[in-house]
Amino acid sequence: MNNRISRAAPLLLTLLAFCGCKKSAGIDKSDADAAAYDTEADWNDGQKIIRLGYQEAQGKRIFYQYCVWCHADATPAGPSNRSNLTPVPPLLNDGEKLNGESNEFLVSIVTLGGSGLNRSPMMPPYGKTLTPEQIKAVIAFARSVAQPPYLKKETSSSQSAAKMKEGITRP
Amino acid sequence: MSERRTTEWLRRAFLASPAHRFAWASLLLLATLAIAPTKDFFKEWKHYQRQYLKVVSSRLDGPALRRHFAGGIQQIWLPELGVVDRCTTCHLAVTEKSLQGAIIVPEPFQAHPPVGHNVKDWGCAVCHRGQGAATEVAEAHIATRAWERPLIPVKFIQASCGSCHQGEVAEAPRLARGRELLARLNCQGCHKLSNLDTPSLGPDLSSVGYKVSRAWIYKWLKEPRTVLDKDGNTSVNGYESGDESRMPQYRLNDTELRALSAYLSVQKAKPIETYKISVGVVTAWSKNPELVSQGEERFRQLMCTTCHPVAVTRAGETKLIGGNVAPELTKVGSKVNEEWLVSWLHNPQAYSAHAEMPRYGWTDEELYKVSQYVLNKLTDTDLLSTVPQLGDPTDEEIKNGKRIFLEKGCATCHSLQGVAPQKDFGPDLTAMGAKSTTELDFGKSEAPHNLVSYIEEKLRDPASVNPSARMPQYAWNQADLDAVTTALLSQTGQPATSALQHLVVPRKPASFQTVGAFATVYERYKCYACHRFNGYGGTLAPDLSYEGSLAQKKWIFDFLKNPQTVRPALILRMPQFNMTDKEASVLAEYLSLAVQKPGVDPESVDAKQFTPAMVAAGRELYRTKYQCQSCHTIGNSGGYVGPNLNDAGNWLTPAWTEAWLRDPQALQPGTIEPRRDFSEEEIHDLTAYLTTLRAGIKSEAGGSSVPKSSSGRGTGR
Repeated sequence: MNNRISRAAPLLLTLLAFCGCKKSAGIDKSDADAAAYDTEADWNDGQKIIRLGYQEAQGKRIFYQYCVWCHADATPAGPSNRSNLTPVPPLLNDGEKLNGESNEFLVSIVTLGGSGLNRSPMMPPYGKTLTPEQIKAVIAFARSVAQPPYLKKETSSSQSAAKMKEGITRP
Repeated sequence: MSERRTTEWLRRAFLASPAHRFAWASLLLLATLAIAPTKDFFKEWKHYQRQYLKVVSSRLDGPALRRHFAGGIQQIWLPELGVVDRCTTCHLAVTEKSLQGAIIVPEPFQAHPPVGHNVKDWGCAVCHRGQGAATEVAEAHIATRAWERPLIPVKFIQASCGSCHQGEVAEAPRLARGRELLARLNCQGCHKLSNLDTPSLGPDLSSVGYKVSRAWIYKWLKEPRTVLDKDGNTSVNGYESGDESRMPQYRLNDTELRALSAYLSVQKAKPIETYKISVGVVTAWSKNPELVSQGEERFRQLMCTTCHPVAVTRAGETKLIGGNVAPELTKVGSKVNEEWLVSWLHNPQAYSAHAEMPRYGWTDEELYKVSQYVLNKLTDTDLLSTVPQLGDPTDEEIKNGKRIFLEKGCATCHSLQGVAPQKDFGPDLTAMGAKSTTELDFGKSEAPHNLVSYIEEKLRDPASVNPSARMPQYAWNQADLDAVTTALLSQTGQPATSALQHLVVPRKPASFQTVGAFATVYERYKCYACHRFNGYGGTLAPDLSYEGSLAQKKWIFDFLKNPQTVRPALILRMPQFNMTDKEASVLAEYLSLAVQKPGVDPESVDAKQFTPAMVAAGRELYRTKYQCQSCHTIGNSGGYVGPNLNDAGNWLTPAWTEAWLRDPQALQPGTIEPRRDFSEEEIHDLTAYLTTLRAGIKSEAGGSSVPKSSSGRGTGR
């Protein structure tokens, strides 16, 4: 008995030494709003706030400058130009129409315009006005406000990665 | 007893023989030696690096990511900036393009979104703050005793753009809005701030006693225009509006309100120049039942609401309509004295030399009708019902009023004859955004002790951190509160080192020098209140910096004489000033000769070269190939994103049209119309077609039934 305690003593000492060194590294979980770069109210439900990252926020800015006039029913200036057009352009958040389209297709139609892809020539090409990053940003914004929500496809095995997300621990 | 037994036991167990002693000492030494490597193994950053390798291994792009991975402490060292950032020790994938926007990658392994500044050239802490050299989570991110610059929440990160970029950054709209508010609310009246536009001062009060009653002053001081509704939204006179009042609320009690209203009501420094409407007009109209309704019609025709908002009730819903560059007029009839109103409308600068209201060319009849409309219809009989009986101001009240006027710092915004402006009334805020927590006094406030919370708390309720604060109460909505907080956080003072000084991107100077006859007319009509010239002036109306290249001289003249005809669709339209022919031609001459876009000579393309064949081809391109009608209206059909082209042949110079079609953004950065792949031939054809579009003034007025266009002509927003 005595012998066992005596053998354990150095180990205990070592552990105690560790405990003394360990610093409490607590970071308060910051307010989720403060962690978002920007926000946008859900177009169908104003109470629901969608949080935007940097890229989506840039897309939002570009959308409200260039695209809102025809791809929304209300614009910063009031009424929209959407009803003047045939075929009627999709709303930016129209998930039923846009979720099925690939990012590549959406990039092309913004870049080349409708006539470049045998769609309505009323959609003008923005490839010489916006940079590729800006066009991608607008699409990222569209994805984030889509209703029904757009489910992002990952290139790798997303299941194991999703598990990883839960698995990340703090030391 | 037991003590002795323990000692005995220890001696037997450890020190029985020299061999025992040696063995135990060795074991202890080994254990001690093991502490350092074990501690090292459990370092936070090593833990994250191991996890990163696990995350990476489950991805298709894992092998490439693994190749980029190098273990150990990583750092970005920028000797010229004095930056040592070790953030990439844990944030291993910051520069990995393949991980950008990948949602299932957890922090700290997410890639940085593509921003204008490459992480490798700038490091992290330059924008995000925090302690770059730290390798432990807490030390790097939050304020510790040794380090008082915690990370800035992402919501306010645009403040970091503003620390170097003194001018506008397109990617940082929140910062721009915050700076705009700081200038608009004239925060510079009390505080020293940097990188802001010229402040807009409050009204001159030197002769306010002629303008309003003491009861109105009492009411205004007690409850300035802005009222917060139960949901915390800003409303104006109870009406919801996106605009905010510039006058804040001071915490004044009844005695103070009586004193201050007494003092202000006796301010009659300069007698108003009474303008007498001719007796003939008054006798002819005063009994006419149509006086007020005709006044209302004229009020509308003059487009007063382009600058002044007015609350209108339609279908049971009350809304403010109109521009936001001038005071709201919904209840102004219950505010101002009749004599003052007539003289103000006749010549605003006679009352206040710096008034931005243009001097209209009124006829007596118009002036009488409009002023009677304002005094009889834009009223609220209940406005002053809550004000107690004030009586005549006593000497005591006036004396106290003057003291309060100075104590509250009223002269920081308002000028008053005989009172010196109160410079630097509040603390210098040019380095507010770089303050450390220990420099801040939170008083009894329960807000978290950090800089961001302090600024938010102080803005929300200045008395919360300091009950005796002199700062008045502003009414914010959450978005504006965030914007102003961002702008204040960007005030980080002089860069600490000369290397950082080099990073500063200065503001573009904005100036527009006017001379001669043009200057006189330009000043009379205050063109700059709404229009912008070379970066100087308002943003309500189209930028006129290149008007001479864009518009034909005759068109400018006609427009100035009768501005109503051009855009029947717009709610906000240029007011009708009743300009004389001479004034209109001075403006048209000057604008078309002196206000041009370099490289676009209005004479350089001669419309005579266009043939009917070109016109027909252009028409076809417009209608079929490019479908310009999706945004532009001709006749009765088309969209209204871009300007109405009904009168393009009289309005636009062919040289401008061609240059515009080649590259709209080169002429007007940020304009909505995209740059197309037109061939030179197509550009000539389209221009030829547009040159033929000429509308008679009559037919155009009935042209479009569109409710409202997006903006000024060709300018986007």
